[in-house]
Amino acid sequence: MVFNSLTFLVFFACVLALHSLPLRWKTRKTNLLLASYLFYSAWNPPFVILLWVSTVVDWYAAQGLVRARRQAARHAWMLLSVVANLGMLVYFKYGQFLLESFSAVMASIGVAYHPARYDIVLPVGISFYTFATMSYTLDVYLRRAAPARSFLDYALFVTFFPHLVAGPIMRPTELVPQFAAPRRASAQQLRFGLALMTLGLFNKVVLADSFLSRAAERVYDATAAAGTLDAWMGTLAFSGQIFCDFAGYSTTAIGAALCLGFAMPDNFRFPYAAVGFSDFWRRWHITLSSWLRDYLYIPLGGNRHGPARTYFALMTTMLLGGLWHGANWTFVVWGGLHGVYLSTERLLRARFAHYRPGPVAFVGLGILTYTLVNVTWVFFRAKTFGKAWSVLRGMVGGNTDAVPILPTFNLCMVAGIVAALLLTHWYMRSRTLEAVLARTPPLIIGMLWGLMLFAIVAAQGDGSAFIYFQF
Amino acid sequence: MPLSTSSSDTNTDAYARQTASDRPGVAQPVPERPVPARRWGAILVGAVALFGVLIGAWELYWRASGVGPGTRNGFGLWAIQRRRIDDGEGNATVLLGSSRLHFDVQLPVWERLAGKAPIQLSYGGTSPMTAIEDLAADPKFTGHLLVGVAPELFFSGGGFGDGAARYTHKQSPAQRVGQWLSMYLVEPYLAFDDPDFALATVLKRQPWPARPGKHWFMDVRRLAIYTRDRDAWLWPKVAEDLRYRELARDIWRESFTDYPGDPTPAERIKTAQEQIERMVKAMALLRSHGVEVLFARLPSDGEYLAYEDRAFPRAQTWDALLAATHAQGIHFQDYPQMQGFYLPEWSHMTRSGAERFTAVFYGIVEENFWHAGGQDALPTGTSATP
Repeated sequence: MVFNSLTFLVFFACVLALHSLPLRWKTRKTNLLLASYLFYSAWNPPFVILLWVSTVVDWYAAQGLVRARRQAARHAWMLLSVVANLGMLVYFKYGQFLLESFSAVMASIGVAYHPARYDIVLPVGISFYTFATMSYTLDVYLRRAAPARSFLDYALFVTFFPHLVAGPIMRPTELVPQFAAPRRASAQQLRFGLALMTLGLFNKVVLADSFLSRAAERVYDATAAAGTLDAWMGTLAFSGQIFCDFAGYSTTAIGAALCLGFAMPDNFRFPYAAVGFSDFWRRWHITLSSWLRDYLYIPLGGNRHGPARTYFALMTTMLLGGLWHGANWTFVVWGGLHGVYLSTERLLRARFAHYRPGPVAFVGLGILTYTLVNVTWVFFRAKTFGKAWSVLRGMVGGNTDAVPILPTFNLCMVAGIVAALLLTHWYMRSRTLEAVLARTPPLIIGMLWGLMLFAIVAAQGDGSAFIYFQF
Repeated sequence: MPLSTSSSDTNTDAYARQTASDRPGVAQPVPERPVPARRWGAILVGAVALFGVLIGAWELYWRASGVGPGTRNGFGLWAIQRRRIDDGEGNATVLLGSSRLHFDVQLPVWERLAGKAPIQLSYGGTSPMTAIEDLAADPKFTGHLLVGVAPELFFSGGGFGDGAARYTHKQSPAQRVGQWLSMYLVEPYLAFDDPDFALATVLKRQPWPARPGKHWFMDVRRLAIYTRDRDAWLWPKVAEDLRYRELARDIWRESFTDYPGDPTPAERIKTAQEQIERMVKAMALLRSHGVEVLFARLPSDGEYLAYEDRAFPRAQTWDALLAATHAQGIHFQDYPQMQGFYLPEWSHMTRSGAERFTAVFYGIVEENFWHAGGQDALPTGTSATP
C-alpha cells in the first residue's frame, strides 16, 4: 500500500494501537513483522515469497560467513548472497532490457533475433530491499558488523514497512540494534513523527502530484516538440516533482518510524542548494549514494590506486547507479552524466586546489550545479532518447516552430513552487529542520501544520504511486 | 558520489548530525532523530483545530454551492461492476458506452421492467472500445452487450476512462480496500470529495490570463450524480442553473470548432474506420462466446447534434459500423418515441426525462431485439425501424 492512501491511514492507526499495547517486546516485534508483510502483500501477495527468499538466503549466508574458517568459504558465502539477490533483481527488473539490448546488438551485426516478450511484473521495491539485505551479508563479510543474534530482529530489519519499498536504504547496524531493547515512542516523538508524516505527504500529494506532475507530463508525454519556455518549465517541474515525491516519501517513512519509536537516517539534505556534484550526492538520496560508495566504489579501488583507477571506479559506480534506477539506457546516460560531472569536478578541484569562491561565485556555482542537474533530469524523465534530444533541443532554443504546450496556470505553478523550493533549499543549506523548528514560534508551526493538513485533504490525491517505487 | 566535502559552511546547528555520506567505508551507527524542543502537544492541538476550521469551511462552501455528498465515479467503482461478470454474473446484460448511455439509462427503471438491473460499465468522456475488447477477451462473459455510440467518442477512441479495464486487472488488494473505505467512510459524508472540487482543479479554473499562440480548452465540469452501483443521472444544477448550463454548452462548443492541429475531416473518417475495424475483431470474439451485441445511438440536440452530423456523417460512421459488424442498432432518429426529450446542454437528459426515456428505450430493445427475436429478427447491418 502507498502512504498517500486511506488504506495506509487505517493500517497505520492499527499498527500504532497494536504497538502501544502492553505486550512482551518479542510479541510487539512479531506484530511489526506481520504488519510489514501485510503492508507488502497489499500490492501483490505472491511477491512476499521473494522477500522471504532474500531474507532467508542472507540470514544463512551471514551465518555461514561467521562459521567459515577458510577465506575461500567466506568468498563463497558472500557470493551466494550477491548472486541470489542480484539474480532476482536481474531476472525481474532487467530481463526484458537485456533481451532487447541483445537483440539490438545482434541486429547491428545483421542477425535478426526476436526473443519472446518477457512479460514479468516488477515486484515493488525489489531494488531497495535487495540492497538492504545485501548490505547485511556484505557488512559481515567485510567484518564491519556481527550477524544479528535473532532471526526475528534480522527479518524485521529487512521488512520493516517504513523503509521496505523505497528506502531510506537501511544498514543492519542502523536498525538491528534498535530491536534489541523495548521501544515505544514518547509523546513528543509521536507528535513530531506525525508532523514529519504531514510534511512528507504535503510534498507528495500537494506539490508533486497536484501541481508539478501535470506540467512535466504535458511536456514529456507530448508528441509535439517543446519550445524554450515549455522545455525548461517541464524540466523544472520534473526536478521539483521528483524531489517532492521522493523526499516526501522519505520524510513520511522517517515520521512513521519515529511514531513507533525508531530512528531512520536522513535521505535528503536540501540537494538543490548543492554547490558542485560531490556536494549534490551528499544531499540527494544519501542512503543510496553511500551504499554505492561503500559496496561498489571503494571495492573497485576508490581513490586509493591512482587517478585512472579512481575515474574508472567513479564512472562504473555512476553508470551502474543509473542502471539501478531503471532498465533503460536513458537511466545509464543519466548516471553517466553525473559520473562525467563528478570526474570533471575532481579534475578542477585538483587543478584549482587553492580556489575559494566568493559569495557571488558561490551562488553562481550553485546555480550552475542546479542547471546541469536539470540537464540530467531530461534523460531520467524522457522515455526515449528521441524525446530527450527533443527536450534538450527545446531548452537551447532549437525548436523554433514549436507551439506553446503549457497554459498560464501550469507556468505560474511551476515557477512559484520551484522558486520557493530553491529559496527554501538555500535557506536550509546548512541548517536542519529540527533546528529551524526549535526557533520557530509554536503558533507558526501549528498554523503551517494545519494548513498542510488542509491542503492534503483538499487536494484529494488519487493515491498515485511514488516515482521511486518503480525502481 | 560523495568524494569530498565541498561545503564550506560553518555548521552551528545544534541539531546537526552526520549522515552515511560523512562516514565512508565503516559500519553505520544507529541514526540520531532528535525532537525539536517545542510543546508539540499544544502545537498538534492547534494544527488539528485549524484543520477542522478550514475543512469545515471548505465543506460548507461546496454545500452552499448546491453540492451534496455522493459517490466518486472512478476506476475503483468501475472495477467493482466489471468483476461481477467474473464472479457469477457472466450472462448479465451489460451497458457499455459513454456518458449518454450512462446518464440517460436509469438502472432502477430498467430493473423494474426487466426484473434485473444491467451492469453499468459506461464511462463518461470515453470510447467504450477498450472495455469492449476487454469483455471480448473474457470467455466468462456470455450475456447481452448494449454498446452506446456517441459519435465523437466512439469513432475517435480513447478518453478519460480508457484505462479502467487495465486498472481492474491490476488492482491491488490495498486499492480494493481503499475503494471500500472511501465508499463507506468518506464519500457519504463529504460534499467536497469529488475530483471536480480538488484544490488544483479549483485553482486551475480561475481566470488565468491566456497564453498566446494556442487555444486552451476548458475542462468538462461536473455533470452527473452517481450511486454505488454506477447508476447516474444529470446533476440538476445543469438544468436549473442557467449560467452553469451555458458554461456546459460553451465547453461543448469548443469541440465543435476546428483549431490548428485538429484532425482534418479525412483524418477523422480514417480514425473512425480504424475504430470500426477494432469493433469487427471484438465482435468476432464476443460472438464466439455467445454474446449478443446491440448498438445504440442515444439522442443529442442543438449545436451538438449539428456538429456530430457534420463531423461524423451517419453514412460513414453509424451505418458503416452496422454494416461492417453485421450487427443491429437503435438510432434515436429512427424512432419518434426516442425524440423530443429535453437535453439542457444538448447531450444529456434530466433525471426525470431519463426515467421516461429508459422505459421507452427498454421497450424498443425488448420488443424489437433481444427478447422478441434476437439478432435474426431483422436484416443485419441495419437499424431497426419501427
